[in-house]
Amino acid sequence: MLPKTNEQGFFEIRLESIGGLGANLAGKMFAEAGVLWSGLNGANFSSYGSEKKGTPVKSFIRFCEPHIEIRDHSPIATPHVIGVFHEALAKMVDVTSGLVADGTAVVNSTREFDDIRRDLRLPYGTLVIVDALGIAVEERVKINMPMVGALLRVCSFIQPEAMETVIRRTFATKAPHLVEANIRAFRRGYEEVRIQASPAPAEERTFVRPSPRFGYETQLIGGVIVAGGNSLLKNVSGSRQGFLPRWEADKCIHCVACDNVCPDLCFVWEERVDKKGRKQMFLAGIDYQYCKGCLKCVEACPTAALVAEREVPGFAEAHSLKHSFSFMKGGMEAWQ
Amino acid sequence: MAMIEKDVEMANQAVQEMTFASGNEMAALAASQINYHIMGYFPITPSTEIAQLLDQMKGRGEHETMLIPADGEHGSAGICYGASLMGARVLNATSANGLMYMLEQLPVQSGTRFPMVLNLVTRSVSGPLDIHGDHSDLYFTLNTGWVVLLARTPQAVYDMNVMALKIAEHEDVRLPVIIAYDGFFTSHQKRKVHYFRDRETVQAFIGPRKEGFPTAADPKRPVTIGAHMGGDDLINNHYQQSVALYRAGDVFRQVAAEYEKWSGRRYEPLDLYRMEDAEVALFLLNSAAETAKDVADRLRKQGIKAGVISPNIIRPFPAEEIRQALKHVKALLIGERADSYGAHGANMTHEVKAALQEDRDNQTIVLSRVYGLGGKDFYAEDAEALFRMAIDAMEKGKAEKTFDYFGHVPGRLEQQPKRLLEPIHGDAFRSGLIHVTVDDKTKRLNVKIPPLRALTAKPKRLAPGHGACPGCGIFPGLELFFKGIEGDIVVLFQTGCAYVVSAAYPYSSHKQTMVHNLFQNGAATLSGMVEAFFELKRRGELNVSDDVTFVMVTGDGGMDIGMGSAIGTALRNHKLIIIEYDNEGYMNTGAQMSYSTPMGHMTTTTGVGKGQRGKSFHHKDTPQIMAATNIPYVFTGTEAFPQDLVKKAAKAQWYAQHEGTVYGKLLITCPLNWKSEERYGETILQAAVNSCFFPLYEVERGKTTITYNPEAKGRRIPLSEWLKYMGKTKHLLREENKDLLRELEEEVERRWTILKAKHEHPYL
Repeated sequence: MLPKTNEQGFFEIRLESIGGLGANLAGKMFAEAGVLWSGLNGANFSSYGSEKKGTPVKSFIRFCEPHIEIRDHSPIATPHVIGVFHEALAKMVDVTSGLVADGTAVVNSTREFDDIRRDLRLPYGTLVIVDALGIAVEERVKINMPMVGALLRVCSFIQPEAMETVIRRTFATKAPHLVEANIRAFRRGYEEVRIQASPAPAEERTFVRPSPRFGYETQLIGGVIVAGGNSLLKNVSGSRQGFLPRWEADKCIHCVACDNVCPDLCFVWEERVDKKGRKQMFLAGIDYQYCKGCLKCVEACPTAALVAEREVPGFAEAHSLKHSFSFMKGGMEAWQ
Repeated sequence: MAMIEKDVEMANQAVQEMTFASGNEMAALAASQINYHIMGYFPITPSTEIAQLLDQMKGRGEHETMLIPADGEHGSAGICYGASLMGARVLNATSANGLMYMLEQLPVQSGTRFPMVLNLVTRSVSGPLDIHGDHSDLYFTLNTGWVVLLARTPQAVYDMNVMALKIAEHEDVRLPVIIAYDGFFTSHQKRKVHYFRDRETVQAFIGPRKEGFPTAADPKRPVTIGAHMGGDDLINNHYQQSVALYRAGDVFRQVAAEYEKWSGRRYEPLDLYRMEDAEVALFLLNSAAETAKDVADRLRKQGIKAGVISPNIIRPFPAEEIRQALKHVKALLIGERADSYGAHGANMTHEVKAALQEDRDNQTIVLSRVYGLGGKDFYAEDAEALFRMAIDAMEKGKAEKTFDYFGHVPGRLEQQPKRLLEPIHGDAFRSGLIHVTVDDKTKRLNVKIPPLRALTAKPKRLAPGHGACPGCGIFPGLELFFKGIEGDIVVLFQTGCAYVVSAAYPYSSHKQTMVHNLFQNGAATLSGMVEAFFELKRRGELNVSDDVTFVMVTGDGGMDIGMGSAIGTALRNHKLIIIEYDNEGYMNTGAQMSYSTPMGHMTTTTGVGKGQRGKSFHHKDTPQIMAATNIPYVFTGTEAFPQDLVKKAAKAQWYAQHEGTVYGKLLITCPLNWKSEERYGETILQAAVNSCFFPLYEVERGKTTITYNPEAKGRRIPLSEWLKYMGKTKHLLREENKDLLRELEEEVERRWTILKAKHEHPYL
């Protein structure tokens, strides 16, 4: 039944997402469609941690013929299919790591094949593009449904009818009024794909198990951290889901309302001399590296100097004002 | 959970169905079929789901088990013990430090011989804190006198849960039983599983509760339970317990044999995979053994006689079966997901070696390796590497190294954990713009703060890049509070979202010193820190400025499980501040109810459905509890009223430096679990204050002052104007829940009226 399998007899799928987009549920539904409705054996699990909404998550699905017992429970390193729910995730995670040479990546995007292949480091393999966000917005569902549709398109061993059964049963108890919208979004995801075959045979990228930054010779005893504040090295902008605040300096009265409510310490302040010659604090800009796009500042702003805006690629980089931190000599180098 | 798919009926067996589910789902399913009388529980990852799932099932009317949310695991063990004293059927579930916190109750349960069932979803014991799976918690159960069953797969979790109660209640046993399975690997991975279609089947298999054993339930037959003993008696009590625990091994075999007839699935004390003629073998507990079986198959293809041993029960320890299984094995590697530090091998190593010591003919070379700690993934390559060590020992006729760790790495010496930022301290955090003076007449404090714009010159205490959800209210609340604090701080974060997202090794968002301790003990820990600071200074052994403010940061969950510690600290009146960010639930573990969750609000353990309508009792009034300890200063605040909060912070600092303990509660939004729009965080908090659900006030040296009165300002709004913003409360606005809304409104009004009276009257 399965088009291809690895040495253990598994066909493997890995979903790459950020918390909140429904990748966990998508993985579960996918596995159920295979195991309960298509005669396969299977396993499904997600990466679990203290991850919060907006942080990277993975969901894994293994399928095999029904007579094979699934004993392996390690994360999927070399999948046949990868589903990328959130393009900006590539800033934080190597989403296409380990894709087998004749594998397929399904990406939620509106961009062109070449751009995606470049940004996702995907010189080989079939690339499937679906505007899952667009479909989700139009059908008022989460993006996981159109993504499931597009993924199913490249997993022909599961019939669309099987998945529709799972969708109906999943939402019948949770939210019966959403069943039809989810079915529609699923069907559109299945239909509205753009597919590009592998442009050239290429070496598949081998999966490298991540190793910790420090080991037993270099960890300080007791797990102590002296580099307090080093979370500033992280780029959490991939948590944004399409919107960011745009600041119009000429409307700003520097009242601090935005800074008071910002969860992510994005606002950059500077001391300047005001019109009367007094030293005064001024808002100088936004450090978008840390902005998760919650838009609390837009609500708080009394003068509409902060405006919610649909994020276009490059805007944040072009308009970001970096915080200035005082680094130790050699500190940055040590953390490269 | 997926639903019924197709019947799998086999000859002479009860009707079973197939589903696709995780270990936790199967534990919950078995429990719902058994229909336990009582489950006392306290959420802890990764076992929490069991109570959540049972809450959902109860909402659908699938069982009648009374689910009691305890104030901590110690409390949950007490609830369970109490219920078992009445002869009730009792369930609990926990992990890691939850087990550690209830540990002292476990020998009480077994030593007084009251059966119950505990699902231990294994996880690494702190510290450092790690939420993932290993067996360090499991090993602490070995001396508790409980029967300990293991479950390698979601299927085994179900089967063991059905068998466990029957074993526990058996007249030859009368002991509590633990079912241990691997956190995340087994608890959260979904597999194909079979289960009995009818709960009657499960209940018939287990049989009715056994009569004739003493309980505290029948006044006609009074008993004294728990008399203290001297050694002459205790040794006999413990001998009885020892005998009963060994008998549990026989009972396990009987029950498992009967279970095979009903289910078609067989469980021996030892699961032996290709051990008939094995020359090398791995001994592994739980899920890792499954991975090793695949590798044994692979090695067999290469002509290596490899096998895997994995026990289904470790208390009693199947010593005889192990001797038999290892008769002809040349080299055995025991992999352990925990260490017994300093013992030259962890617990299983010693127990297997002790078993073999009694077989004078045994020649097996035994190696021991600690692996996979803290959920470190165990790939097939890892199992193969362990096999290779055993093969090497077999070929050499001896083990080069009998005990070691596996999977640890030295790190690169050129990559050192160096300081990144210049330390910021002292004057950098002193704006000089906040002035606190004592009013001679009232003895209360006057505070002058500058426009908040000026305070942006003061560096933030935290660095950006933390991992909180978009729109999280924790950090704006904390940073506003810290704006009012001048000079250095030392903070202790109790376990909770704020800690987890700001200190994930090797990253930290804390520019100044931050310490974590588990949330039942943060206040006591900070008490010790404060007193040691001053004692070291008094003796001249510490030469730093006095001007350090000690702050404990906790969630509302930490003020549940850590209430005793906080009250003790307040009664001793140490010079420190306890600041609580209240998001009305245990959000870090997945939005279970806390005692601060208001009545009727939906959480993952107080569902809304046919059987129930959200939380069943009113929210905890923590500021009033803390005020009753007569500490010098108690306050409430939110980011929606920033000047008010900054002023209170300044007062808090003055009192913590001059007089003693301060407690403050910040209401903060949790858009994810309140099911509210991220952008409306401040709006929602304003509404909470203006509806008088969350009044802004302070209790200063016993005198209550409302610092913002929405009635006086003409801004009072109905409670529904607050509730309408949140998905977790939208059901309260429906016609059929009018009574529930009214009840909540009345409680809010009652508390507000009392507060106004206190505000008016200095002696209240």
